[in-house]
Amino acid sequence: MLISIIMGASVATAFLGLAGELSFRIAMEMRNYGANILVEPMAAEQGGFLSDADLPKIKTVFWRYNITGFAPYLFGVIDISAGTKREKSVVTGTWFARLLTSEGEDESIQGVKVIAPWWGLSGTWPEAVNEAIIGAALAKRLGVVSGEEVTTTKERRTQIFRVVGIVTTGGYEEEQLFAPLATVQSLLGAPGRISRVLVSALTVPMDDFGRRDPAGMSKEEYEKWYCTAYVTSVAKNVEEVMSGSRAKPIWQIASAEGSLLTKLNRLMILLALLALTAAATAVSTSLMASMTERSPEIALMKAIGADSLQIIIVLLGEILVISSVGGLIGYLCGEQLAGFVSRSVFDASLQPSLWLLPTAVVSAMTVAMAGSIMPLRKALAIEPVQGLKG
Amino acid sequence: MMDVLIETRGLTRNYGEICALKPLDLRVNNGEWLSIMGHSGSGKSTLLNLLGGLDRPSDGFIRVGGEDLRVLSEDGMARYRREFVGIIFQQHHLIPYLTAVENIMMAQYFHSVPDEAEARTALERVGLGHRLKNRPGELSGGEQQRVCIARAIINSPRLLLGDEPTGNLDHGSTRVVMELLSELRAEEQFTIIMVTHNHEVAAWGDRTIYLDDGVMVREELKGD
Repeated sequence: MLISIIMGASVATAFLGLAGELSFRIAMEMRNYGANILVEPMAAEQGGFLSDADLPKIKTVFWRYNITGFAPYLFGVIDISAGTKREKSVVTGTWFARLLTSEGEDESIQGVKVIAPWWGLSGTWPEAVNEAIIGAALAKRLGVVSGEEVTTTKERRTQIFRVVGIVTTGGYEEEQLFAPLATVQSLLGAPGRISRVLVSALTVPMDDFGRRDPAGMSKEEYEKWYCTAYVTSVAKNVEEVMSGSRAKPIWQIASAEGSLLTKLNRLMILLALLALTAAATAVSTSLMASMTERSPEIALMKAIGADSLQIIIVLLGEILVISSVGGLIGYLCGEQLAGFVSRSVFDASLQPSLWLLPTAVVSAMTVAMAGSIMPLRKALAIEPVQGLKG
Repeated sequence: MMDVLIETRGLTRNYGEICALKPLDLRVNNGEWLSIMGHSGSGKSTLLNLLGGLDRPSDGFIRVGGEDLRVLSEDGMARYRREFVGIIFQQHHLIPYLTAVENIMMAQYFHSVPDEAEARTALERVGLGHRLKNRPGELSGGEQQRVCIARAIINSPRLLLGDEPTGNLDHGSTRVVMELLSELRAEEQFTIIMVTHNHEVAAWGDRTIYLDDGVMVREELKGD
């Protein structure tokens, strides 16, 4: 019985402990599939712009540690030529891997390289102000390869870029030229301006409360919403520090991520419940055998005057003491098991979760009590005369 | 006239089609020592179990100390057993993982509150003051039976039942146990009903009844 309880509590502790770690790891993985918050000018349709001076503030917001990366973008249509080929195309000024210093915060690297690691790049990332990477489709039409130059012109301003890489994304990026933000701002005659910012943040799955309009919330509700890492509340954080902006979740990313994490958590909880149910069944089986073995003892208790309640108190007391010990040992084993799985699968150690200790002990006691219902009924049905005959 | 502690009329116990105890009329006075004799299967233990509230009759009337045992609930029977009856078993039935004193305290626990000092005194009364912390496996058959007696008397029962209490003991141990029971009876004034195969043991009683095939066939008073 003790072994059944230890096994059940161990597996449940391991599953529940891994559920949190797994969610975090999956969420981190999901961040590799694209930003989940888009920040645009409030009047984007009227050609408004954001200011690049506000960008460092993004790493100072309440949910700054959940923001794993961001990249600013400035778009413009330019004439681009290489050799004899010329066409109109989109140039995008951005950060590739910029060292960002925000007041009072640690330095961090921000840019496309951080938030779009899936981009296929043949060549290197731009480092100099006149270096650029070019989308594969555009490069093909212009006949450009890495190491060659392209000339860009906007009105009477001209900028020559040396192509250091060809970008393959499978998307619209393959039609664009990507160059350092400051250089593109000069080319487009838009100093200090940016068109949008894409932010990648770790968030919790949306629920009914998270989907509510914060404008209609009470003060307490708003505080609760603001202090929960919903994608909407993180977006609100960013919006507050970017002047003239509106930040909104990119729902196809955010909802897919939320849905996956919710399902994953449900799966882990279900597996934990299955483990506990299996343990309860094993406990019940071993207790049934134990009650048969202890029939003479139970019959003796009855013969010397124990009533049903006293029999239950004695047997359940033993069961609860054993299950408490089983829960404690199960917690310790489960932590080791979860740590082993975490190291094997994620190559990362797992922090001990003390909240799982009471969970493991209470689970073990609940399992033992659930598993003892039938055996206790059997014990109460033992006839003293028959039991003492053995 | 002595007051009657036990009265049965037409007391019957059937197990399926087998009639283990045929309609029996019996009266036992308060403080009396009754021996029950008979060969195996004669209904001795069946009668003892019915008197001890360990079993229920199939038919007939049974009243012990004013309690009509036929109408008691399960918990009422348990209360009757713990407050009114002490039982000495042939096989002792001690809990093997408890010490002698703990075995006594278990009976106290089901009756009221465990009292170790009182349990020690009970063991000292049966001559086991030096074996308090020994487990049953470390005691001789006679010593185990004395622990069983101490457990049976710890809650001051009015009725002490013995189901062949000396059946597994040698002659010397049997004498020790019987003398002990006699002394305790003189002190506590309880009624004893004892099932035995042994005429010497039966002779300690005030009266002996003989059962055969579930029927009381003979009755002898001491000195007959």
